[in-house]
Amino acid sequence: MRKTVRKFLKGFAIFLVLSWSLIPIMLIALSSLKADRDIFAAPPRLFFEPTLSNYTGLWTRWSDFFDGLLNSVIITTGATLLAVLTSAMAGYAYSRFRHPALAGSAFFLIFIRLIPPIVITLPLFPVANALRLNDTHILLIVLYATFFVSLGTLVMRTFIDQIPRELDEAAHMDGATRLQILRKVILPLSAQGMVAVAVFVVVYAWNEFLFAFIFTTTNAKTAPLVISEMFGAVEGVEWGVLFAASTLQLLPVLLFVILAQKHLVAGLTAGATKG
Amino acid sequence: MKLRSAKKPSRLSASLPAFFLISPVHALIISMIFAPVMYVAWLSLTKSSFGQAPVFVGFENYVKVLSDPYFWRSLRNTVVVVLIVVHLELLIGLGIALLFASGVPFRPFMLAAVLAPYAVSEISAVVMWRYLFDHDVGFATQFLAFLGLPDLEWSVNPTHGLILVALLSIWLHLPFTFVILYAARLAIPKDLYEAAGVDGASPFQQFKRITLPLLMPAMLIAMLFRYIFAFRLFSEIWLMTGGGPARQTEVLAVYLYLEAFRYNAFGEAAATGWLLVVASLILAMWYLRRLYKEMFATYA
Repeated sequence: MRKTVRKFLKGFAIFLVLSWSLIPIMLIALSSLKADRDIFAAPPRLFFEPTLSNYTGLWTRWSDFFDGLLNSVIITTGATLLAVLTSAMAGYAYSRFRHPALAGSAFFLIFIRLIPPIVITLPLFPVANALRLNDTHILLIVLYATFFVSLGTLVMRTFIDQIPRELDEAAHMDGATRLQILRKVILPLSAQGMVAVAVFVVVYAWNEFLFAFIFTTTNAKTAPLVISEMFGAVEGVEWGVLFAASTLQLLPVLLFVILAQKHLVAGLTAGATKG
Repeated sequence: MKLRSAKKPSRLSASLPAFFLISPVHALIISMIFAPVMYVAWLSLTKSSFGQAPVFVGFENYVKVLSDPYFWRSLRNTVVVVLIVVHLELLIGLGIALLFASGVPFRPFMLAAVLAPYAVSEISAVVMWRYLFDHDVGFATQFLAFLGLPDLEWSVNPTHGLILVALLSIWLHLPFTFVILYAARLAIPKDLYEAAGVDGASPFQQFKRITLPLLMPAMLIAMLFRYIFAFRLFSEIWLMTGGGPARQTEVLAVYLYLEAFRYNAFGEAAATGWLLVVASLILAMWYLRRLYKEMFATYA
């Protein structure tokens, strides 16, 4: 009797957890396939005739959104490459070298994570304007990478710490330089760590709103920014098209997170507990 | 003595490749974060607006900000939302971590489901939750009505607006808190529970005497990180309520944004920004001290 009660309670808890996490996502994904009359039906309809009209509407009326997706792809790729590469180099240095100046600089790296991003927009906005960097891909690439190199370096250090030093020494005996050791020995063996760092940067750069909102106007506008403009459109929100855009923006990164979940978990724990 | 001084330069030159390797990361951070933040400190002591040469005015901007009722309202809103969000998140995260640790069917699928909101952008989350709580057709609105509860009037009632933002924030950030706690729970050795079971400890006693104390460090870390990140809350409020109605749901970051980019008061915005930085540092004091010792123990 007590066992069945416990089993029932557990089943109910699992049901609650799944509903909480998945209902909002399923809701817009499903609603993106609904015609307007089904979107505004009360009570909500679970069964309906699926249509792609929202997606075709998005294509014809908001072609901006697809430019935004392309910008997001460019910026996310650039930021990820930049952050992973620089973090791997620094992570290797912090794992293998010892010097008081390294202690100070490692502390500085983590200390800097405490600064709220919005604060730096104040001086950067006029500077970027003067340098004609506003509304360019490169500005967002550098900004997004910068905000993740601290965590990235920590994560890479944790992963590189697990590679035996004997391998470095053996390569050194064979006459390899530091850079060769890094390229031929360390990087291939720390691929897992690089994927973990990449997951963070990809998710952040793909979804970020604040910097995109402040630093882009037309050329480098990312997908989240275009969605927010559709949302704030004066002539009333077109929910169906909005759902289609949100779904398209969400699906690739959701798939990526699910496929890389093992690395995400490893990276989060390495980044949070090891410093 | 002689030996030491002879050894020192060689130690420095042996570390030169390390300085080369860390330079790109530090170049990024110094140029994009550290220098701008220092400049904000200077800006906060000057009177200026976009395109004008700044004039030194001392602490005038701070006085102005600290006597602005909108600043205090946004501070109060921030603190309330942060406290609610972080603590509920910890509680729910702990609950789900323990549920997972007690064994769940289809574990990989369940894990993917719990992590899914991590992939969602703030804007998509706002679209979802605004539709969920839509006054006429929202799924959640109808569910509340079914339970006989009142509707969340988030667009007209500031308290309701903040509740919706808090719910949305918890939803977006729960995966982070959950992962930290779940990893820590998995790290607790099984033998402890077995031994406790042999000694006849009830599940509740086991929770109180083993699980909770051993999870405490991870809970503190998760809490600290979430305090610091929740404190920056901007997009959720901006996209959900825009700070309205009548500036009643503004949080500090939104207040700063409006001062700078709408009211052109760069000095006041800079003062607000520097207050944000100082508050974050105070929040993290304990963590920073521990870290400082750890870093020098490792590298020096």
